[in-house]
Amino acid sequence: MSGSDPGKLISKADNLTTLSLTRWSADWESATRLYEQAANGFRVSKDYEKAKLAFEKASKGREMLSSPWDAAKSMESAAALAKELRNWTEVIDFYRKASELYMQCDRPQFASDSLAKAARAVEDALPSDAIKLYSDACVLLEDDRKEQMALDLYHAVTNIYVKLEKYTDAVAFLLKLGLAADKCNATNSQCKAYLSAVIVYLYAHDLKQAEKCYNDCSQIDAFLRSDQNRFAGKLLSAYKEGDVEEIKRVAQSRSITNLDSVIIKLARKLPTGDVAAFKTNAAIGEEEALDENDLK
Amino acid sequence: MSVIDILTRVDVICKRYDKYDVEKQRDQNVSGGDAFARAYAAVEADIESALEKVELASKEKSKASAVAVNAEIRRTKARLLEEVPTLQRLAVKKVKGISTEEMAARNDLVLALPDRIQAIPDGTAATKQTGGWMSSAPSASRTAIKFDSDERFDNEYFQESEQSSQFRQEYEMRKMKQDQGLDMISEGLDTLKNMAHDMNEELDRQVPLMDEIDTKVDKAAADLKNTNVRLKDTVTQLRSSRNFCIDIILLCIVLGIAAYLYNVLKK
Repeated sequence: MSGSDPGKLISKADNLTTLSLTRWSADWESATRLYEQAANGFRVSKDYEKAKLAFEKASKGREMLSSPWDAAKSMESAAALAKELRNWTEVIDFYRKASELYMQCDRPQFASDSLAKAARAVEDALPSDAIKLYSDACVLLEDDRKEQMALDLYHAVTNIYVKLEKYTDAVAFLLKLGLAADKCNATNSQCKAYLSAVIVYLYAHDLKQAEKCYNDCSQIDAFLRSDQNRFAGKLLSAYKEGDVEEIKRVAQSRSITNLDSVIIKLARKLPTGDVAAFKTNAAIGEEEALDENDLK
Repeated sequence: MSVIDILTRVDVICKRYDKYDVEKQRDQNVSGGDAFARAYAAVEADIESALEKVELASKEKSKASAVAVNAEIRRTKARLLEEVPTLQRLAVKKVKGISTEEMAARNDLVLALPDRIQAIPDGTAATKQTGGWMSSAPSASRTAIKFDSDERFDNEYFQESEQSSQFRQEYEMRKMKQDQGLDMISEGLDTLKNMAHDMNEELDRQVPLMDEIDTKVDKAAADLKNTNVRLKDTVTQLRSSRNFCIDIILLCIVLGIAAYLYNVLKK
């Protein structure tokens, strides 16, 4: 059977499924089998377009046979071929369909997995769509109380935001990462997330926000007791002093190398902009405080 | 004659003439069946060795080794003082072959022991008399506090000599090297700690997955067992000998009928 032309198999299968006068009910079983064979044949002969179509039809057949699991699997194969053809909208559609089918089988992990695959495929071309897909995947996992798997996805979202230079959004996701890590007692990831948040704020040259973020995070015991906390404190005090050398030295330390690669790149580029401005601001603030005390 | 033979013969000869060895006899007499005598001899030997160590300490040039030897002497003294009560008990016991005068003499000896032990100088001997300044260095055992500078208070005396500045330099260098080494170790430890934490989190992540796998595999195994049992029943049923014989007999009958028909039709 594998020797016969996949095109012929497709047409045969189509015949089996179309209803006509001679055929009162579609024979989905044999049709699906033929579709799958045809799809494999096309894939081997590198005819991706036809293979993708065949997989689509096979998936539909499986759905009709009420086996959503196999349907989802075929849909994923179709999506992978669409990725080869660089047809991004189709990739997203197919993966979404596959994830819905997985949810029908009550397997949220696989569903989020396919959304994540979709996001990874389109993250260069359509970053905003990728972000949406990643967020949906994280939501699925959190509903299933499997936050630990979500940590990787959060990292990926943060990386996309940093690439798009949307730093506040990146920090928001890092804090969500911290929250998820907290729920599953992954203290190391949590502390690293908070430290990364502070670094991203400093890279965006927003010392106030960085300090606010640091203060918020210090409320959390696990962060307070960690090495990352000490390091963040050192970094912020170096910024307040306005000492560029000190900042550079602190940024070279070991704690940075444990973080995500994108964050490391940001840290290496610190300080951005004029650090002396922070120094003068801080000094003025202190003087004002003295004046108030004097009046009293 | 081989070396071994020579050695054995020498041993035998020595044993035979041991009774003429005066010193050995004396020792043996002392240690024969008399616990007190043995113990007393041991204590005496320890006191002798302590006194020898005191000689050594006084000859020591470096203060550190002198301090160490003194500490050892003090330990020995403490040990010996602990053994005195046992000796006292043994001295009072009646041993045959010893006259009453000797018993009295033994008692006196035992009483004299603590004083002898305390008298061993260990660098703190002066403290009891002065009743003050406790210090581990023997130089402070003198009654008055004395500066080592031999009454010279001019500046020149206190300038650092070449030796001391060299010493200081060496000390600084060694300290720096140690710091460098410690820095490297701390970096390595940081990496290790991070890796260990990540491994911990990864394993935590995989625990529920493993539990799921466990349940699923258990279910699959139970299903398989079930199926096997049923299969076994079916196969035994099929292959039961009664059915088998019936099959063979029926087959023969069918073949017989076929042969008969064949013969009939051939004609």
